[in-house]
Amino acid sequence: MENFVFGLDGAELNDSDSFLDKGIIDSTGVLEVVAFLEETYGFSVADEEVVPENFDSVDNLVVYVEKKKAEMPGQPARLMGA
Amino acid sequence: MRVCTKCVLPETFPGIEFDENGVCNHCRAHKQAEYTASRKTQYREKFERLWAERQASGAYDCLMSYSGGKDSTYTLDLLAREYGARVLAVTVDNGFVSPTAIENIRRVAEAVGVAHLFVKPRFDVLKKVFAACAERQIFPPKTLERASTICTACMAMVKFICLQIAVEKNIPFVVFGWSPGQAPVTSSVFKNNPEMIRKMQETVRKPLEEIAGGEILPYFLQEEHFARPERFPYNINPLAFLEYDEARIHARIEQLGWKKPEDTDPNSTNCLLNSFANTVHRKQFGYNPYAFELAELVRQGTLDRHDALARLSEPEDGEMVHLVKKRLGIEQPQLR
Repeated sequence: MENFVFGLDGAELNDSDSFLDKGIIDSTGVLEVVAFLEETYGFSVADEEVVPENFDSVDNLVVYVEKKKAEMPGQPARLMGA
Repeated sequence: MRVCTKCVLPETFPGIEFDENGVCNHCRAHKQAEYTASRKTQYREKFERLWAERQASGAYDCLMSYSGGKDSTYTLDLLAREYGARVLAVTVDNGFVSPTAIENIRRVAEAVGVAHLFVKPRFDVLKKVFAACAERQIFPPKTLERASTICTACMAMVKFICLQIAVEKNIPFVVFGWSPGQAPVTSSVFKNNPEMIRKMQETVRKPLEEIAGGEILPYFLQEEHFARPERFPYNINPLAFLEYDEARIHARIEQLGWKKPEDTDPNSTNCLLNSFANTVHRKQFGYNPYAFELAELVRQGTLDRHDALARLSEPEDGEMVHLVKKRLGIEQPQLR
């Protein structure tokens, strides 16, 4: 994530901060994050999944990646409360 | 000034770091040619699948954001010739389109056989925006890497005007002629999501509204557009996934009657404002705003490093800069 999000002057970023509102990522950057996730985790990101709810903060990304990893074939189903 | 020994990024570029061989972090992170080729194939195939499945119920298959420059002229021709597209070409006149580019636009639209629309926003509004952009950085620092503040403001308006028209006319694709240095292949096929677009629009609309007031609003998406989410198109940048060869581009578009403007700077083939925008950016930040694009073209092997360095170091046309300042009503002697 460092290459996409940080890099200028080490501006503070909280996990819940909106990348777009904070101006630390633009439309091109969002798509670079999409490509990065696909390469790193081996899942495909559908066009309709590229929404702020999934991509606009560290917190949102973490939830999204966990969900996608759990959906991948061969992944053990996560137990509620485990 | 220290410059990367592999590409052309200077030591003044935001976030740059050099290793012991003088190679920058961007070059070190650059992927191998095989990777780029495979990504290009992946995105070309994705576009061609979407294109084959398109359901263009309106009069047009795609809207081409047509500046009249070399890259968008070549892309326009590709759409009509290779893909048989019914194109609506749209040129946003920012008040500084080179007269030669205007002639090129008319000639090429006729030669290629496409419908064309000029959109001319109010110049008094644009003048306020450009003058403010020359005084201060109004957008997030990240935008400085790819373009000058003036270019970023202008292009944001172009993008949202094109998106407005596409939604209104139910056109399923909006096509841009970005070079592979301006748009990475990963951004070459992009479905516009209304909520994502709303957020992205806010980051540019807000500062521009502070400068120009409510008169800027007609050039951005309204609630009536967001109320038609099913009409939000794909954005396509074909030159990011197709072969990019400047010599071939020039050879083809000259057959269409396109002539290289003599009054623009070395990095633009349509806009007279560019010289001034570059001058301001160089003064404020110490590097040419085209450095990022040309560095990437050098890495991809489509531009010779010495040619890129020459293009970046060429001084702006002082007379043109003066004329632009006069038209914008700017008195900043330090920029002369």
